[in-house]
This record gives sequence, C-alpha cells and structure tokens, in this order.
Amino acid sequence: MSDRRLYVDYLARMEGDGAMDIVIGENGEIKKAAWEVWEPPRFFEAFLIGRKVEEAPELVQRICGICPHAHHISSLRAMERAMGVKVSEQTRLLRELMHYSDWIMSHALHIYCLAAPDFVGYESVVAMAGNPDLLPIVGKALGAKRLGNDMIVAICGHEIQNRTSVLGGYTAVPSKATLQALKDRLKASKEFGYETAKLAAQLANAEPYKSLERKAEYVSLYDPKRYPINEGKLYSNDGFEAPDEEYPIWILEKHVPNCNCKHATLKGKGNLVVGPLMRVNNNFGTLSADARKIAAEVGFSVPCFKPFMSIVARALELVHAIDSAIELIDVLGEPKLEPIKYEYKAGESYAVTEAARGICCHGGRVDKNGVIQKYDLIAPTARNIASLEDDFRAFVPKLVNLPDDDLKLKCEMMIRNYDPCQSCATHSIKVNLHREK
Amino acid sequence: MANPKVAFFKFSSCAGCLLSVLNIEPVLLDVLGVIDIEYFIMAKRDNHEGPYTIGFIEGAVTTPKEALELKKIREECAILVAFGNCACTGGVPSIKNWSGMTQEQLTKTVYAENINDPMLTSIPAKGIDFYVKTDAYLRGCAVDVGEMVELIKRALKGENPLFRPHSVCNECKLKENVCLLVSEGKPCMGSVSAAGCGALCPSLNRQCEGCRGPANDCNAASLAKTFMEDLGLSKDDVVRKFRKYAGNTPEFSKGAEAAL
Repeated sequence: MSDRRLYVDYLARMEGDGAMDIVIGENGEIKKAAWEVWEPPRFFEAFLIGRKVEEAPELVQRICGICPHAHHISSLRAMERAMGVKVSEQTRLLRELMHYSDWIMSHALHIYCLAAPDFVGYESVVAMAGNPDLLPIVGKALGAKRLGNDMIVAICGHEIQNRTSVLGGYTAVPSKATLQALKDRLKASKEFGYETAKLAAQLANAEPYKSLERKAEYVSLYDPKRYPINEGKLYSNDGFEAPDEEYPIWILEKHVPNCNCKHATLKGKGNLVVGPLMRVNNNFGTLSADARKIAAEVGFSVPCFKPFMSIVARALELVHAIDSAIELIDVLGEPKLEPIKYEYKAGESYAVTEAARGICCHGGRVDKNGVIQKYDLIAPTARNIASLEDDFRAFVPKLVNLPDDDLKLKCEMMIRNYDPCQSCATHSIKVNLHREK
Repeated sequence: MANPKVAFFKFSSCAGCLLSVLNIEPVLLDVLGVIDIEYFIMAKRDNHEGPYTIGFIEGAVTTPKEALELKKIREECAILVAFGNCACTGGVPSIKNWSGMTQEQLTKTVYAENINDPMLTSIPAKGIDFYVKTDAYLRGCAVDVGEMVELIKRALKGENPLFRPHSVCNECKLKENVCLLVSEGKPCMGSVSAAGCGALCPSLNRQCEGCRGPANDCNAASLAKTFMEDLGLSKDDVVRKFRKYAGNTPEFSKGAEAAL
C-alpha cells in the first residue's frame, strides 16, 4: 500500500493564489500537511521605502481588495503615532464606522459566497442561486453585502479603495441625511443577521464539524470596555498581553525544519491563530447585547475551540457590526468637515487593527521630511498558516475513512474557516514557498 | 443562442477588481443569467478550460510564469480585457520598477534569507499589453463597476463599449467642482488622467492621483512643471506622483522625466 496524497493546486473560493498538499502514510499517519501560498510577491515593504508617509495608507490598502480598510487604518494609526499626530474623536468614530461597514460586507461575502456552498453541497453561490429554495436567502445575503458596500461608498467614496480617509482625518464626510438613510437600512437588516446566526449554527452543528476541536493560542485585540476593531491591546486566551505597538517584539517568524513556510509564533509561546472565532472568545462580554442574546439562543458559548464554529462567530460579529454601526451613526450625528493639520516629524511606530479575518499589523520609520525609511507589515493569513497545518494534523486522522474527494473538500473547508487572504499573506510572510511538481 | 463563456483570471494584484464583479449586487443575478462564468477561482470550485468568449485579467505581470500563462490565455479568449489598473499599466506593483533597488535588493528587503527561492522570481511589473494584444481596457484602481457592466452589455450586443478618452477635468467641470489645482493649489492630476470615474476624488475634495492612467493627448510634462514652479513641489514629489499608478506609460514617463 502506498501513501495517499490529497493535492489541490489552486484553492477556490478564497482570495489569492494557494495550494494544499496533504500526504497520509500507510498507517494513517500524516506525513505532510501544508498550505502553500504561491501568490507572486509584490514587494510592498521594499517599494514603500522612499515614498511619502501619506502614501503608505493610500498604497497599503491596495495589498488586499477584500480587507483594504484594515491595512489602511493600521497604517494610518502607525504613521500618525510615529509623527505624534492626534486625530479628532469624529475621525476615530468615522474610522470605526468605515471598518464595521467593511466587516458587514466581508462577513456576508464569506458566510454566504465562500463558506456556505461547502456546507450545503454546492460548488459556488451562483449554483446555490440556481436552486429556487435557496434563491431567497442568496438574494438577502447579496442585499446585506450591498448594504456594507453602500456604507463604505458613503464614507469612502468607493467600494474597494477608499478616497476620503487620509493621514490626520477625512477630506469629505457623509451628511446626516445619508447616515440616517443607512441607519434605517441597518435596522431593517437586523432580522437577516439573526437568521444568518441561526443558519450558521445549524450548518456548523452537523457532524463531523461539531466534533472537531483543538485548543490553541487564540490571539486578538482586546479592550475591556469596547469590542476591539481599530484599537486595543494584543491579548491571548492563554494569558498573553502587550501594547499593540509592540507587535514586532512579540510576533516572531521562525523557520521550522522540513516545512515549506516560516511560521509566525508568539514569543515564548508557540503557534497562534487569529480571526472572528478568536475575537469572540476573547471579547464575548463586549459584543452587542443582541449578539450575545442570539449566541445563547443558538447554543454558542465561549470558550469555543472548534474551528468550524468560526462561521457562527462570523455571524455573531455580523449582528454586532450592524448594532455597532447603528450606535456609531447616532453618536456621529451631523459630521463636520474638519481641517487636516499635521507636520512631518521623524519617528517610528507600529499599530494593529482587526481585519475581518484577524489582526493586521503595520508600522515603520519616517524621517523628518516625511519620507519612509522602513516599513513592516504582517497580515492575518500569515499568522494562521502554522496553526492551520496543526488543524490538518489533528483532524485529518479523524476523517481518514472519507473518500478522497470528500476528504479534500473537508480540508479545503478547514482552510476556509480562516477566510484567508493569500494576496495579503504574500507580502508579509517570509516564506520558503514551494510547489509540488 | 448559447450564453457567452466568460473567464476571470488573476495575476499579481489585490483581487479588488475581481471582488467588484460581485459588487454589482442589484444586477448580479441578471448578469449571471446572460453569461456563463466558466472560470473564476475566487468565486467557484467548478472551473472549466477554454476557449472563452471574454477573458478578464486582473493584475500586473510580474513573473516569467505569468507571462507564459498570459500568452496561453490570449489564445483561448476571443476578447481579452485588461481588468483594472494593474492589468492596464502595471499599476501599484510597478512602483518597484523605479525603487532604485535591484530585484535582488528588493527580494532581500522583504524575504530576508530565502532570496534564491525560484518561487520569489520577479521581473519588472508590466501591464498585459506589454506581452499580448489587448482588446479593451477597464481602467481604475479599482475598476468602475458601471464601466464593467457597460462593457459586458456592449460585448453581448457585439458593439464597442463607450469609454471616455478625455481627462478627469471634463467630468469635474460637469460636476461644478471648485478646481483643486487652480483655486486651492493642490497637486491634482485630473488634467492628465483618463475620465470615467466621474471625477470621484476631486468631488470628495481629494486631488486626483491618476489611478486610471493617462488621458488621450495629455501634457504631463507641462503639469510636472506647474507642480514644481507654481506649487513648489520637490523633484522627488513630482517623480513619485508620475510613477505611482501608471509609471510604465509613455505619457506619465514624460511627466517624471520633466522633473528629473
């Protein structure tokens, strides 16, 4: 009997280019479990050297079309910290609303277009829409995604790449009437958020998903008073805490022998994992009241170390994002156009935000003329690679009796649990990339 | 008549333009009713080989492997569309072309010790028409979804899409915006950049950065002089502006060279 190999050369329904390679030995032992990102490098950290500080947030949002706002806001906060620039309370609130809008779009996209088809046995959301029974829910999902997009357009001017948000503030702000119209739509979408959480719980509570559990170092931002999205300290379920600007000290990348990629690890700890399930575990108490209520109703409680429950965590965050956006619109009232003022100053700093798929770290050094001397970034997907391989090693032996096609699909689902962004990853992970011939 | 077979490919880029395909929610299901998406890895698991009626390519070409794939895709597609700024001009990835670093230095800066890994091979970033004949261009970073739907509709009818060859200034005037360059002294690139975005940035009080590439017959050298002489921008500032979104184009090259 020879080794059994599960290989997918181009993983579908996730952003970017990657492959998966799993080799199972004769006795069911896992000989190789790798997720290989072969997205070509674009060298952001190199070509940003010599660019102006204002250009960093403008250009890094172009690392990823799905989580541009996380890259953008991390970069803004890092560069502002480096130069000692203080922004107004209104700017902080608008940035939070901008990022929650992105979460609504991204979570609706992931739950329905990228993850759900696997659970219900379709190759894509397009195929799902071909089933008259599923068409209404697909329509609603597209409606929620549109709402997130319309919010992004109202604040940023464009769905994908923001135009208004710059170092120090905003060049234009949405009117009260625009925000109120969005608030009405947000209120109307609450029912959909509730339905999504119920549906997600139903999908993830089936076998084999509900039995697959693996305790790991769950890392996210944390704030005792407010659910963290743009600000907070670095925190783990296993007692780690540090200011976010210290991420370069704590999040290390090390080379592991016989492994294709350098693994991001937490200093003094080990492999870590980031994303909605980790955020919800670490910050359950500051989720909106309705999100917590719905969690109880669908039987979700923390701690939860079941990676397939990430679809439920994502749905709860969708509910929370809708609630938070409504609240932010109330607090913002009538936004005013504020003057943007700052001076170039030499400095170095770092900052972390929560992308829809986990913590996103940016920072660097600027000289007294506002020219970037050094730039660093670590995207969420980079951190999850090592942990995902741990998932393969833990779960594949339990599923080893499944036929190849089904087992391959289950492994792909394990990757999709993390809603990866492979374009993001490529510009930050220092990996030894390798593709099986 | 059978629906046209459509394919979406991704090279070196952020996937934002591909995501735009899914951002036409109000008409998405209608569009899906009149085309067959045969290949779209980001959106579906079941993908098919060509030939295709229309191929959309997102991303710049930055590796020899991508250049080879592109040539194969060209043969498979009756209509080949450069989908977004990276595919049109090389876009943001092309900034590295003028970083002043050799490719080895660039690789060392980002990837430390693994620079000899063949997977990290990279060549100067170019738009797709550097390698193959390109039938249509959807400009912008990211693409304008209105233009994308216009192109699909026209292709279904066998017509050329109506795109705007003139500058962003024309659209800005129609919107009755105050001129950011003349009245506010901001280094706006609208006068040399291609329209079609509805003067999006200037309408939001932000200067145009030229993400749609050059307009027809633009005079980038003259604008570069204005930036330096009237607005007091440094040589480096002007070069950075013209070598950001479309530095590979002959038009914007003239702007950068005028400053050097």
